[in-house]
Amino acid sequence: MIDVKDLHKSYGETEVLRGIDYTIEKGDRIVVVGPSGSGKSTFLRCLNLLETPSSGEIRFEGTLITDKKTNIDQVRRHMGMVFQQFNLFNNLNVMDNITFAPVKTGKYTREEARERALSLLRRVGLEDKADAYPSRLSGGQKQRIAIVRALAMDPDVMLFDEPTSALDPEMVGEVLDVMTDLADNGMTMVVVTHEMGFARHVGTNVLFMDEGKSLEAAPPEAFFENPQSPRLKTFLSKVLRH
Amino acid sequence: MGAAARPGAALVMWEGNMNEHFFEDLKRVFLDNGGFTLMLKGVGNTVIIALSAVVIGVVLGSVCAIIKVSDGKSVPVKIAKAVVGVYITVIRGTPLMVQLLFTYFGVFATAMRGNPHKAILIAVLVFGVNSGAYVAEIIRSGILAVDAGQMEAGRSLGLSHRTTMLRIVLPQAVKNIIPALGNEFIMLIKDSSVASAITVVEMTKRAQSLVSKFYVALPIYAVLALLYLALTSLAAEGMKLIEKRMRRSDRR
Repeated sequence: MIDVKDLHKSYGETEVLRGIDYTIEKGDRIVVVGPSGSGKSTFLRCLNLLETPSSGEIRFEGTLITDKKTNIDQVRRHMGMVFQQFNLFNNLNVMDNITFAPVKTGKYTREEARERALSLLRRVGLEDKADAYPSRLSGGQKQRIAIVRALAMDPDVMLFDEPTSALDPEMVGEVLDVMTDLADNGMTMVVVTHEMGFARHVGTNVLFMDEGKSLEAAPPEAFFENPQSPRLKTFLSKVLRH
Repeated sequence: MGAAARPGAALVMWEGNMNEHFFEDLKRVFLDNGGFTLMLKGVGNTVIIALSAVVIGVVLGSVCAIIKVSDGKSVPVKIAKAVVGVYITVIRGTPLMVQLLFTYFGVFATAMRGNPHKAILIAVLVFGVNSGAYVAEIIRSGILAVDAGQMEAGRSLGLSHRTTMLRIVLPQAVKNIIPALGNEFIMLIKDSSVASAITVVEMTKRAQSLVSKFYVALPIYAVLALLYLALTSLAAEGMKLIEKRMRRSDRR
């Protein structure tokens, strides 16, 4: 579904991604872990071209999206994204946050979009918040709404950029529950996170990144029980100590 | 009348007894000889210049700001960006007075000859174009103050830069822009006094005529200053009201 070939990204002199090859199949749930500064968020943001790669190729459902002639807006309508800082539209209420893009892009009529929004809100337990503005919501509620907003476009894949990193600890669970529910329903997901429990129990594949490279990728059991590279062993010994 | 009636008036000022005849002169100029009506006529032109300039400035400034923050990399966009850059640099780098003289006595020296409104039309044009450059920067920084995540979220959903800018970012930028625009309007009210240099008869020009007619300066310029203060205070109060209303809708 997503095919990444020799992906490089530099900011001036700093090389953040140093040649990544990776293939994501439909139904995969890829969890990307690694120390901060390893380039995992940059990698994720390259997948929908929020960051423009310096070189390399990314194909999405056969389309070469790194080609300048590709209409990236069209491609992005099939890729949902959830941000660390939620990024709900502050000037719109929850219902408009969810329905704005599907209606504006002509994907659904206003009525269809509203109906879908309500059923998605019900699914995440926030149907009573449809008229609220983002400033009135807790972090966990914002992130669940942000997930719903992305889902409202009916995407083929969902990208999560550290979705729980900005949350108070007691709100992490409610967001992970929604993500697990999505996974159970067969959504293709790429998740950058520090939640090792989520990686272990929900991921189909865990990718370890360090210094702009993918060092190791394996299904969760192998990844956590039998890490190969010394760098991953050190990393796991640090994050799993508690 | 005027100077002939009180030949010593100007001299009194130079001797330092400024206050001796202050109220007497005030009454003589503004009440007995219709000076107040004349000044009020000047207020009209001052307000016309400031209001039309701020409207032109907002329109021109919005267009320029949008061009400056656009993400387009095509040749026309690059040219537009360069033009806007030169415009802002030139306007902000030269005195308003020079811009007025240049336009009125230079560019339009022979145009609109005999049109009684030539001076005020050119003043409105110059003040508007001048204000546009400052407003462009006000709006641009208002847009940049909106969290970049708002644009990213819009783009990640497949919305265009343009749609996200117009429907998501700009409505939020307005909050940052309105107070600075209020300041710009107050600046325009005060700066409009410079229009007297190209023969526009606004408040300051009226006051100057009254001074040369009655040979007293202090009471006239005191009234002039108070009139400006009244206008700018009124504008400031208006801005406060608008900001208050916006803050209310913000809390919802």
